[in-house]
Amino acid sequence: MPNIELIGVDKSYVAGQYAVRDLHLTIPDGGFMCLLGPSGCGKTTTLRMIAGLEQPTRGDIRVGSRLLDSVGQGLFVPPEKRGMGLVFQSYALWPHMTVTRNVEFGLMMRKTPTAQRAQRAAEAMEMLHIADYAARYPSQLSGGQQQRVALARMLAVDPEVMLLDEPLSNLDARLRLEMRAEIKRIHQRSHATVVLVTHDQLEAMTMATHVTVMNEGVVEQTGTPMEVYERPASVFVAQFVGSPPMNTMPFGSADVAGPGATVADYVAARVGRPPTDGTGGVRPEALHIAYADADVPDGVWRAPAVVDTVLPTGSAWTVQLRCHGEPLYVQSYRKIETTPGAEVTLWAAASDLHVFDADGRRMTGWDQFLREQRSGQRPAAGPAVASGSGR
Amino acid sequence: MAVIDRPAPPAPPPPTQTPASRWGRIRYRARVLLAEPTTLIGIALVLIFGYLVIAPLVAIVSDAARVQFGDDSRAGAPAGSLTGYYLWRVFRSPISASLFWEPLSHTVVVGLGVVVFAVVLGGSMAWLVTRTNVPGRKFLAGALVVPYMLPSWTFALAWLTLFKNNRSGGTPGFLETWGVQTPDWLAYGAVPIIVTLGLHYYPFVFLLFGNALRRIDSQLEESARVLGANRSQGMRHVVLPLLLPSLSSAVLLVLGRVLGTFGTPYILGLPTDYAMLSTSLYRSIHTRAPGVAAVIAAVIVLLGVLVVLIDMRLVREQRRFVTIGGKGSMDRATDLRRWRWPAYGLAMAVFVTSVVVPLVTLALSTVTYAPGVFRADNFTLKFWTAESIPEAVGFPHGLLRSGDLYEAMWNSLRIVGMAALVCGLVGLMVGYVVARSPSRRLSGTLRQVSFLPYLVPGIAFAAAYLTLFAVPRGPIPALYGTTLLLVVVMAITHLPYSSRSGISAMMQLGREPEEAAQVAGAGWLTRLRRIVLPIQKGALTTGVLLPFISGLKELSIVIMLTTASTPLLTTLSINLVDFGYRQQANAAVLIIAALSFTVTYLAQRATRSNLATGLGG
Ligand SMILES: Nc1ncnc2c1ncn2[C@@H]1O[C@H](COP(=O)(O)OP(=O)(O)O)[C@@H](O)[C@H]1O
Ligand SMILES: [Mg+2]
Repeated sequence: MPNIELIGVDKSYVAGQYAVRDLHLTIPDGGFMCLLGPSGCGKTTTLRMIAGLEQPTRGDIRVGSRLLDSVGQGLFVPPEKRGMGLVFQSYALWPHMTVTRNVEFGLMMRKTPTAQRAQRAAEAMEMLHIADYAARYPSQLSGGQQQRVALARMLAVDPEVMLLDEPLSNLDARLRLEMRAEIKRIHQRSHATVVLVTHDQLEAMTMATHVTVMNEGVVEQTGTPMEVYERPASVFVAQFVGSPPMNTMPFGSADVAGPGATVADYVAARVGRPPTDGTGGVRPEALHIAYADADVPDGVWRAPAVVDTVLPTGSAWTVQLRCHGEPLYVQSYRKIETTPGAEVTLWAAASDLHVFDADGRRMTGWDQFLREQRSGQRPAAGPAVASGSGR
Repeated sequence: MAVIDRPAPPAPPPPTQTPASRWGRIRYRARVLLAEPTTLIGIALVLIFGYLVIAPLVAIVSDAARVQFGDDSRAGAPAGSLTGYYLWRVFRSPISASLFWEPLSHTVVVGLGVVVFAVVLGGSMAWLVTRTNVPGRKFLAGALVVPYMLPSWTFALAWLTLFKNNRSGGTPGFLETWGVQTPDWLAYGAVPIIVTLGLHYYPFVFLLFGNALRRIDSQLEESARVLGANRSQGMRHVVLPLLLPSLSSAVLLVLGRVLGTFGTPYILGLPTDYAMLSTSLYRSIHTRAPGVAAVIAAVIVLLGVLVVLIDMRLVREQRRFVTIGGKGSMDRATDLRRWRWPAYGLAMAVFVTSVVVPLVTLALSTVTYAPGVFRADNFTLKFWTAESIPEAVGFPHGLLRSGDLYEAMWNSLRIVGMAALVCGLVGLMVGYVVARSPSRRLSGTLRQVSFLPYLVPGIAFAAAYLTLFAVPRGPIPALYGTTLLLVVVMAITHLPYSSRSGISAMMQLGREPEEAAQVAGAGWLTRLRRIVLPIQKGALTTGVLLPFISGLKELSIVIMLTTASTPLLTTLSINLVDFGYRQQANAAVLIIAALSFTVTYLAQRATRSNLATGLGG
């Protein structure tokens, strides 16, 4: 089971406009890669290029040792010779074939003997709980059932590379949860290399072993879900991954008060002043509310705030506050005992602060400081700074 | 202190990528295009269509400008040399009046007359059926389309059967038998041609105009009324402007049809020498004046192109309005109150006049000795079944007893069937290439080329093919008189319709079902056979049936290209007209009408769709 490599891939449908630009991507053997990004960022295009249904304008695509596309060498392997499996967003079941015939089709193309074909198709349908509908036509199935047929159709041929384009986006919430587990199970069982496209960050976080976040045709970050969550490489990733999204606080200029300025001061006191146009960030679940100053631990970043509204979601509480006039969100899994208008102090541990430079890229200096701090090379809390609360 | 405003280190150097040379890119592109035959098929189609459409037109122009064989003394130059003789002859010579100018003015008169007739009839019927609560709307919506399914010259024959006077020989007309001597202007020429063609073409306006009316949201009109417009102001300022594009489109299409129609002016114009451009063209070909014929054909083509170009402009305009169309306009029908039943009577009268009267007249004429006399001893089946009719020397037996009928029927089914099959398959193929070709330029070109025949009225096309294939040209032998030529011409003239429906069918299907099969490992042919064709079965059936139905009634093309050795039903009936055997001619037309009806009916049952709306030919 092979690595999938995209090397310097460009794709433009219209001359001068790139749907995908200078894409370098390695999907490890047996991995489960989610391509994550907002609509129109080039995820489907990337997936279709891997399948061979779309051709790059520049670059190479290889799977294992096999070169599938090479614009430089003039080499192209058509989709039917790539032996991959693909699930379309619209499912694309063949309306004139029964479920069984849909599932068997790939095996038929591979010239599998009839007996074996029937058995493998039956297994695939069994696995996805659609054996009861074997004789029906796609139009006689619900959306969820069609989805299962599409998956079974792919599974029946046991491909080494499975490509899925937003397979869950047309399902209702409950079904989506169920199918998420199903797809994860399929991956674990088959050891295939899976590439799944989604715009739903939760889907990516829960299923994938690797996540690639794309934006406007360019890769913003690649890493494990935890890496992407804990160390987002850019403001874009920070805001796209996680729900509710990360609080981002532009530093602004020195004389403008705002939560960003307090972060800048806090960082400055420890590792040097960050650039004025940078951004600080803290996840809502890492941001804490203290009702009294005494409750705030030593050495953490802190800022005063006023409670706006409390939004209980059942399992958690989301609180909207205003800090120097800017809205910030706190997510808490313990009940929040507060009322709108209450004056509180917000705080977050240094290790929960994210610092981005003027281009929105993550700054390594801060990360290095945190690493050193963790390994004991630095005092746990830097010099005490009146962090913003004095303003 | 660490310097922290340093961006993240660049990604590790990427794995080696082959540098993209220009040559490599070209090779890559070629590989992609040649990975499946779509591109090659597309190129082949463009070349074939290009040849079959452009070459005949070039042949016309060349024939019009070169001295024809046998004309060298009259033109004063050797055969084959460039000459303005034919232009002079058609436009300036003493006989130009009867060759060209009179037919042109007749064509204009008839065209305008038919347009007015069809618009008044079709427009008012469309309004009644779509916007009022006239009883029996559902029945009328279908019944008022029927005249369009009859061969256009059915009405001409019925007219003659009723109004013919003793100026032309053969079986007398009903009125003649009753002792009424009809004046020539009523029996032949402009008036009957306008009326009969109008009866044939009003369904066209009815369909187009009706669709436009249906699309207009009555809320638009109501908003105007709420804002203080009275009924006629609402009509004038809101409804009419929205309808105008579709109306003018219908008008131009009718004009285009009239330009190329042959049967009716031939039947009704001949006795008084009332010629239109189409009949003048036919006469020139018949009298072996190919140079003159080429000039007239070129004029017809030019007029046809003009009409279509104007129409295309207007359709583009119309597209601007399409988004305005809302839903639920039908539930706000005008209440006719006490005019409901009179309106119903009017609509039924139109139906009776345009369908029942012609068919019954024709049917009665075929079962009576003396027309119009309904006494028991006057009825006979001999024109259908008699072993021998000695007085009809040219066709001395009842129609059903004649081998000629079955031969013609077989020829019609065979030739039209083949053309329709070719047309349907090629149309779907065009749709496939246009929807799937990775090259946008190719799909655009193919789309345009397949539309070209639409610009050329059928009769000019036939003349052009005659010119082109009467003699061997290069590797292509003389095809005149062969079945192949007829099949090719019929297929080509219907190509625009079948390509259009093929394109929309393939676009509607989308590419994903096929791509799913491709990823599953299916090669091109397998995909075509197992995915595309089965899914498009319905579209293919329609794509074959529509040209078949309209080909069965086709006259103007085949009249030029059939020879005595391959008679078709339509030419058989015109031959009978030529002989003056009115009863047998009428019987032949009834058989065509019956065939056309049966096929349409079966087709509608089979495809569960309303073919009438798609009838283009
Ligand atoms: N067939 C196409 N022709 C032209 N532009 C396209 C085509 N397919 C996609 N695009 C453009 O490429 C960009 C990326 O599209 P896509 O890969 O479908 O995004 P995603 O799947 O991430 O939503 C979009 O801007 C889209 O408009
Ligand atoms: Mg997409």
